[in-house]
Amino acid sequence: MWLRIERTLRGLPKWQLVVLAIFFGVIFLTVFGPWLAPFPTETADPARRLLPPGGAHPFGTDENGIDILSRVLAAPRTDVVIGVVATAISVFLGSPLGVLVALYESRGGAGATAFAEIFMRLLEVIQSFPVFVFAMVLVAVFGGSVTNIIIAIAFVNTPVFVRIVRSEVLSLVQRPFAEAAKATGNREIRIGFRHVLPNALPTVIVQVSVTVGFAILLTAGLSFVGAGVRPPTPELGAMIASGAKYLEIGQWWPALFPGLALGLTVFSFGIFGEILTLIMEPRAVRKETDRRRAAALEAGEGGGAAAPAAPALFLGAEREPVLRVDDMRVAAPMTGQTLLSDIRIGLGAGESVGIVGESGAGKSVLVKSVLRLLPPALAVTAGSIRYRETDLLAIDKRAMRALRTTQIAAILPNAKSQLNPLTTVGAMLRSALQAHEKIGAKAADARAVELLEMVGIADPAQRLAAFPHELSGGMAQRVCLAMALMYRPKLLIADEPTAGLDVTIQRQVLDLTRALAEEAGTARLIITGDLGIAAHYCDKVAVMQAGRIVEAAETHRLFDDPRHPYTRHLLDCVRV
Amino acid sequence: MRLALYIGRRFLFLVPQVFLISFITFVLVRLLPGDPARLSLGPLAPESSVEALRAKMYLDRPIPEQYAIWLENAFQGDLGESWVNGTAVLDDLIHRIPVTLELIFLALIFVFLILVPLAVITASRTRNWIVRLFQNVTFGYGMLAGALPDFLLGLVLIFFLFAGAAGLMPAEILPGPEGRLGILDFEPPFVTGSILIDSLLAGDFGVFWSGVLHLIMPVFTLAFVYGAPIFKMLRSQMEGALKADYTTYAEAVGLAPRIVLTRAARVAAGPTLVITGVVVMFLLGGAVLVERVFNYTGLGQYAVQGIVTADYAPIQGFVSFAAIFTMLVYLAVDLIHFAMDPRIKIGGVQN
Repeated sequence: MWLRIERTLRGLPKWQLVVLAIFFGVIFLTVFGPWLAPFPTETADPARRLLPPGGAHPFGTDENGIDILSRVLAAPRTDVVIGVVATAISVFLGSPLGVLVALYESRGGAGATAFAEIFMRLLEVIQSFPVFVFAMVLVAVFGGSVTNIIIAIAFVNTPVFVRIVRSEVLSLVQRPFAEAAKATGNREIRIGFRHVLPNALPTVIVQVSVTVGFAILLTAGLSFVGAGVRPPTPELGAMIASGAKYLEIGQWWPALFPGLALGLTVFSFGIFGEILTLIMEPRAVRKETDRRRAAALEAGEGGGAAAPAAPALFLGAEREPVLRVDDMRVAAPMTGQTLLSDIRIGLGAGESVGIVGESGAGKSVLVKSVLRLLPPALAVTAGSIRYRETDLLAIDKRAMRALRTTQIAAILPNAKSQLNPLTTVGAMLRSALQAHEKIGAKAADARAVELLEMVGIADPAQRLAAFPHELSGGMAQRVCLAMALMYRPKLLIADEPTAGLDVTIQRQVLDLTRALAEEAGTARLIITGDLGIAAHYCDKVAVMQAGRIVEAAETHRLFDDPRHPYTRHLLDCVRV
Repeated sequence: MRLALYIGRRFLFLVPQVFLISFITFVLVRLLPGDPARLSLGPLAPESSVEALRAKMYLDRPIPEQYAIWLENAFQGDLGESWVNGTAVLDDLIHRIPVTLELIFLALIFVFLILVPLAVITASRTRNWIVRLFQNVTFGYGMLAGALPDFLLGLVLIFFLFAGAAGLMPAEILPGPEGRLGILDFEPPFVTGSILIDSLLAGDFGVFWSGVLHLIMPVFTLAFVYGAPIFKMLRSQMEGALKADYTTYAEAVGLAPRIVLTRAARVAAGPTLVITGVVVMFLLGGAVLVERVFNYTGLGQYAVQGIVTADYAPIQGFVSFAAIFTMLVYLAVDLIHFAMDPRIKIGGVQN
C-alpha cells in the first residue's frame, strides 16, 4: 500500500502536488483555523466597516467590520466538518443497506427480482427530489442548525452510496473469491460484509471524496440563499452572500476572498479524489507494469545477442511471397523504448506460419504493426513490411483501407469483444461489404446470409439481427471468420484466433479456418500461445521472446530438434 | 415489442411513484416551522379568528385527511393558494415553470452545441496541434468547472463585467446583470411563458433581444458549471470506445473512418445520456442559486420565498413539480437508453 502511494505520488505532475498541499492545508485549517485567526471572528466593529485590503487586514473587513482573513481562516471548520460528517453518515447508512439489498437480490428468484425493482424505484423517488431543493426544505423543516444541515445533506447523499455499493456487490458476489468463501461454508451475511464489501471499498472511497466536495458546495449553496448556516457563524457561503451586494458597487473583497477559499477547498478535494483513484484503482498500477514490461523488453535486447544468427526467412522458394517483413523494429518514440527488433518473416502463397511465445513476447505488437493498427504511441522505426508488390509502410491510409479484408484480413483475439456491442451481426457484415464494393442493402444482406452459412452458423437469416452479446464465443468467432474470408483474401492474420473457447470448439473453428483458407488459397499467419495449435495447423513456426524471433524453422524440425534454449524451455513446459 | 414491454413496466411504477412524491412533500411541508394561520393574520389577531382560519385551511385535521383533501383538489386543478401573495399556486407555477425551464434547456443546448463537440475532438486519437490546443484548454475547464460553485461564477461574472468603474462591459452592449428584461421593457403577452418565444410571437424584436441579453449570463453560468459532468463523461467514454477492441477491429476490417467514429460514439452516448438526466436534476437546484444571483424571477426564487415564509402551498407545488419533472426526465433517459442499448434487460435493475 505505502509503496503504491509513493509510486503514485512520484508519477504526479507538479501542480497536483501543490493542490495536494493545499488539501492538507484545508484539513489543517479545519482543525486549527479558528485558533489561528488574528482577530475575533464574530464581534462586529462598526468603526472598521468595509475597509479595503491592506495593513492589519490583508483581506479587508466586511460589512460588520470583522476581519475577513480571520473569518476565512475559521470558516473551514464549519464547511469541511459539515461535508465530512454528512458524507460519513451517508456512507455508514448507505453501504450496509447496499450490501443487504445486493445479497438478497443475488439469491435470485421472482421474489428477489420484484424486490429489487421496487427498491430501485423507491430510491428513484428519493433521488428525483432535486438535491438542493430537497436539502433546502429539510433545513427549513428542522431548522438551520449545523446538525440539521448535516442530517439533510447526509439524507440526500445516502441513496448514492446504496446504489454504488449495491452494484459493486452484485458484480463481486459472482467472482471466484466470493464463491470460494461460500463453498467453505461461510454465512451469506458474513461473506457480504467480510469478503465482498472490502473489495468494493476502492469505489466507495473514491465516491466519498467526490461527495465531500459536493457536500461542501451544498452547504455553501444553502447558506448562500439563507437556508443554511446563519451569520455570524463564519461560513463561506454565507460570507459570499453578505459580500455579494457590495460586488456591484466595486467593493469586491468581502465576497471574493471567501469565494476563492471555497473554490480552492472544493478543488483540492476533487484533486485529492483523483489522486486517491490513482492509488486505489488497479488500472493505475497496470500502467506501471506496462512500463516495467517495456523496460524488461529493452533489457532483453542485450540478452538476445546470445541468440543464433538471424533466423532464416520463411520464403517458400517455389512460391511467390505474399508477406515479407524485413528487419522491422517497433518502438515508442516518446519514451525511446524498443518493443520489437530485427523481425524477419516471410510468407509464401497459401502457406501457414505460426508465431509462438509467452504472453508479453510482443506477438500482438507484431500483428498490429503488420496491420498498421499500432496505437499512436508506437511506431515502426526501421525495416520494411511488404505485401506482394506493395510497401505497406509507404502507402496512405486510404490505400491501406482498400487492401483490408479484400486482400489482407484480420482475426483478432476474443471475437466477442471485437464486435461492437451495439451493432448487429448483419449491420457489421453489411458495412464491411459496403466498405469495399458498391452493393445495396438487400444484396448485402443476401451475401451476409451466404457468408454465415459458409462458416456453419445455423439459421443465418435470423442471426443477422443478433447482437454480439446474444452470440456464444464460438459463434462470434465464426462471424469474425466470415468477415475475414468474405473476399477470399491472399493473406489472413489471425491473432490468438481461438483463445478462450473450449477445446472442442477450438478444433472445429481451426479446422474450418484451415479448410476455407486452403480452398481460397489464403496464406495464414497464426499467432498463438498454444504450441499444440502451432504444431497441428502450421507449416512453419517462429518462436518469439522479448521482442525478437529467437528461432524459426519448419514445424517438424522445430519440434523434433529445437536449437534455441528458449524453444527447448517452451517445449519442456508442454511436455511435462 | 421489447420496448413496449419496458415502457409498460416503467409506467406501471410511475403512478405510485408520483403519489409517493406528493405525499412525502406534503408531510415534509406540514412539518415546516410556523403556523400559517397565525403568520397570515399577524401576531395581534385574536386566537378565535386564527382557529377559524386553521379550520378553513383544514390545518386542524390529521395529516392523512389533509392529504386526501389536497389530492382531491389537485385533481380538479386546484393546488391551493399562497397565503403570502393570495395567488393560486397553479397560476404561479404556470407562469414560473417556463421561465426556469427556458434557463435549463438553453443551458443544455449550449452544452450540446459547444461542449459535446469539444469532448469528441479532445477524445480523438489523432494528435495534431488543434486537438492538443483543445485538450489543453478543456483540461483547465474540466478542473475549474468541478470546483467552481455556480453562484460564485455568477458573482464573478457580474463583478468583472459590471462592477463600478472596473466593469469591462459597456452598458450599451449588455445592460445590467439582473432580471429578465430591462426596466423599460414590457413583458410580452403570456403564451408559452418563455420570454424568447413569447416576444417573437408578439413580433417584438426589441424585447426579444433584451430577453436574449438577460439570458446570456445565467445560461452561461449554468452551462459552464453543469456541463462539466456531461463533458467529462463523454470524453472518457469516447476515449474508451476509441481504444476498445471493436474500434481497432472495425479499422482492421477497413470500414470508413466516419462509420468507425459513429459506431464508437454510439457506445459512448449511452452513459453520457444517463449522466445528462442526472444533470437536469442538478440544474433545477442550480437554477435556484443562479436565479437568486441574477435576480431572475423563476421557479427557484418562488421556492426560496415559499420556504422562507413557510408558505405551504407554493412549496408543495414546487417540490412536487420538481420531483415529478425529474422522474419524467429519468424515465425518458431510461427509455432512450433502453432503445439504444440491446444489452439492458427488461428488468432494468442491472447497472
